[in-house]
Amino acid sequence: MSTLDRSKTPKGGPIRNFDFPAVDRRVLKNGLDLRVAHMNRLPVVSLNLFVRSGESALYGKNAGLAVLAADALEGGTARRTGSELAEALERIGARVSATGGWEGTSIGLSCLAERLDEAVGLLAEAVLEPSFPEEEVARARDQQLAGIRQRAKDPASLASDTAPTRYFTEGSPYARPIDGSAESIAEMSRDQLRGYASANFLPAGGGLIVAGDVETREVEQMVADHFTSWSGAPASIPDFSSEAATRERRVYVVHRPGSVQTEIRVGHVGAARSTPDYYALSVANMVLGGMFTSRLNLNLREKNGFTYGVRSRFSFRSEAGPFEVSTSVGNDVTASAVREIMVELKAMAAQGPTADEVAAARDYAAGIFGLQLETAGQVAARVTQLVVYGLPERYFDDYRDNVRDVTTEEVAAAAAIHIRPDEVQVVLVGDADVIGPPVEELGLGPVEVVASPS
Amino acid sequence: MSLLSIPFERHRLDNGLKVVLAPDRTIPVVAANLWYGVGSRNEVAGKTGFAHLFEHMMFQGSAHVPKNRHFELIERVGGTLNATTWFDRTNYFETVPSNELELALWLESDRMGWMLPAMTQEKLDNQRDVVKNEKRQRYDNQPYGDWDERLQKLMYPEDHPYRHTVIGSMDDIDASTLDDVGSFFKTFYVPNNAVLTVAGDVDPAAALEQIKRYFGDIEPGAPIPPLPGNPSLDPLIGSTVREHVVADVPLTRVIMAFRIPPYSSPDFAVAEVAGSLLGMGRASRFYKRLVRERRVAKSVVTYVFPLMTGASMMLVWATGYPGCDPTELEAAMSEEIDALADAQQSELDRAITLTETDLVRGLERVAERADLLSMFDLYFDDPGRLNRELDRLRAVSLEQVRSFVGERLAVDNRAILVYEPEAGR
Repeated sequence: MSTLDRSKTPKGGPIRNFDFPAVDRRVLKNGLDLRVAHMNRLPVVSLNLFVRSGESALYGKNAGLAVLAADALEGGTARRTGSELAEALERIGARVSATGGWEGTSIGLSCLAERLDEAVGLLAEAVLEPSFPEEEVARARDQQLAGIRQRAKDPASLASDTAPTRYFTEGSPYARPIDGSAESIAEMSRDQLRGYASANFLPAGGGLIVAGDVETREVEQMVADHFTSWSGAPASIPDFSSEAATRERRVYVVHRPGSVQTEIRVGHVGAARSTPDYYALSVANMVLGGMFTSRLNLNLREKNGFTYGVRSRFSFRSEAGPFEVSTSVGNDVTASAVREIMVELKAMAAQGPTADEVAAARDYAAGIFGLQLETAGQVAARVTQLVVYGLPERYFDDYRDNVRDVTTEEVAAAAAIHIRPDEVQVVLVGDADVIGPPVEELGLGPVEVVASPS
Repeated sequence: MSLLSIPFERHRLDNGLKVVLAPDRTIPVVAANLWYGVGSRNEVAGKTGFAHLFEHMMFQGSAHVPKNRHFELIERVGGTLNATTWFDRTNYFETVPSNELELALWLESDRMGWMLPAMTQEKLDNQRDVVKNEKRQRYDNQPYGDWDERLQKLMYPEDHPYRHTVIGSMDDIDASTLDDVGSFFKTFYVPNNAVLTVAGDVDPAAALEQIKRYFGDIEPGAPIPPLPGNPSLDPLIGSTVREHVVADVPLTRVIMAFRIPPYSSPDFAVAEVAGSLLGMGRASRFYKRLVRERRVAKSVVTYVFPLMTGASMMLVWATGYPGCDPTELEAAMSEEIDALADAQQSELDRAITLTETDLVRGLERVAERADLLSMFDLYFDDPGRLNRELDRLRAVSLEQVRSFVGERLAVDNRAILVYEPEAGR
């Protein structure tokens, strides 16, 4: 054995290429987009049934209705109570969960391959024949209301729920929490849920995405057996605004007396999933705050010890979702942390990243993509994005090449357009008596202090 | 037939390092995973939280790896990495494209063998601040954030190693020194106190050669010192112990914990199955009865902790709705726990089937395979236990579950921690 020189970083051998699993696609007569990704490492299957539309089409009294309807879907069917449905699924080891999102409702299923047919039958029954019994609706409603109360007492959730109200113009659905308000939820009735389900849990424009150890023809047979009479199209989604509430930089402090830590959110309206500079912008965000070795984390955590961690992200939705830096810091360093966040935002917007930083972020994005194709659930989730956002069929086959093609100039240009330090809204949840004066001294803009909800 | 048949091989280097190799060539991903036999249970009085702080220091570089380089190199190849500290152990892990396994081995071996030359006061000060922020963010600034500290004090006597939390106390974190880092490293971060598992796209023979090359010349340490305090415990608490906390929390929460056999006991499986009947899935007794039918709880949670030292802990908690009377919520929970004495075979079958899906799905990820293999080798000298997990649970009989309820979940073995919102909130 030769002696080892530990000062030399090992050079990896040639990378073993690995393709995104082949996806079969059929658009069924009822408009449902069926996609099957075949994987056979282990005898498991993950499935997503996606139907439009979602919370972005719901306003005022209806805010939170899609989330509630999804939660109440487990309430049972014409043939089974909620408990009977849960028992039938779990007896065969199937896990089902329904989630109301901005773009639509996703019903996820995972099970062993040998139980898929039975599980799909139960899932079809739950989605096509929900009965929404009065007591199950009341339970889901009370849970959602209690959840809203819990979030108001949790500083991180309170900050994350408050910030969008500062970013987006009033009346934009994105300004509110996705699951509505205590006022909207408290009034929701069984009839509203039934009406919502019959108008929205429809195949056209939706997708059935299956990944795992199953053949396409088997899935087609299951759909033929269990979704026989399913037809119809949800109403098209009305255009809506994701405009900024203001272009003036402002500071908004939610006073939470006795806090020992400040939750910080700094952001503004970001970009839509369809933005033409999506790859460049994603890379810009990675350099700024999208990985451990990002500028923000190395500054606030590894250099200054202000925080346990800090990140930035663009929430890419059908319209522009928020761009946001989020972190939690000690009271005594709150102003310093906000100052450093502003320094990093300005530097990224004005000068962009270095060529080395772009190369590192590109390599990270391309590399981790391949690592996240291990499970049926990961692949199903990716293919679902194609349906939700109408992306090209071969999108993920080309993803790594497209990321690697991004240039430093493109990243700098994307950062300059989409990261606007002069327009950010700074939202702080913490003890205003302690953090207020030093934050005011930063001179970022008008400071408003409000009481935290009791 | 069992679906669990993860192939693996086992080795031991001359310096005592245990090695497990679990090849799966289907996709080009590999996980490297190290479990060290040290956790918060090894901390002496005045040094609580140090095992976790030390874990942070392990990312601050080593003799041949400057600060931040570990993260940079792994992220550069698209890999992921992290570490966690727990009562009985600390684990470190990377998942990388399989052509970069050597990088992970180099990084892990450098800090196992040559961490101390890179330690400085500045790095310690920095990570102390990071950890104090972690504690404030995740515990001190959170509703119910002190629940584990309170519960552990109820559950474990003064001299037991589980008496204090993994995150530790602010004062102890503040008092830590570079000397502490040095002696902790020399005592516990030795090859004879660790398991290295490599799972995924790997040729076992070639990997073993590389592992010997990188880890083989690390000097073994002395045998690991016995645990501080008194790890032995009576099987039962002996009574119902309780604490009632009125605090700025949104909703009433009742936390109930029971002393159960340690993870190493064959009877631990009975506790796992009983816990699944109570709280696993939407057809579980707690969800069905308390959440769905009686609607006294907004949510329910059940944990059966796999703890090794003296006794382990099963824990259930229920969160009520606004206006909830904690006495009523506690009574409803007790009713369901007592009623488990009439458990049915169909419930056991459901729990095992669901566990099977969860286990197999977990094993889709090579990181999960590696973590479990490391755990079973560190705790039981038996990584093959992974492939027998379902057999172990299937062997639990209905009679065992029924008698467990009377023996372990009765009023002479309960710690109850109640959180109630302050009046007017």
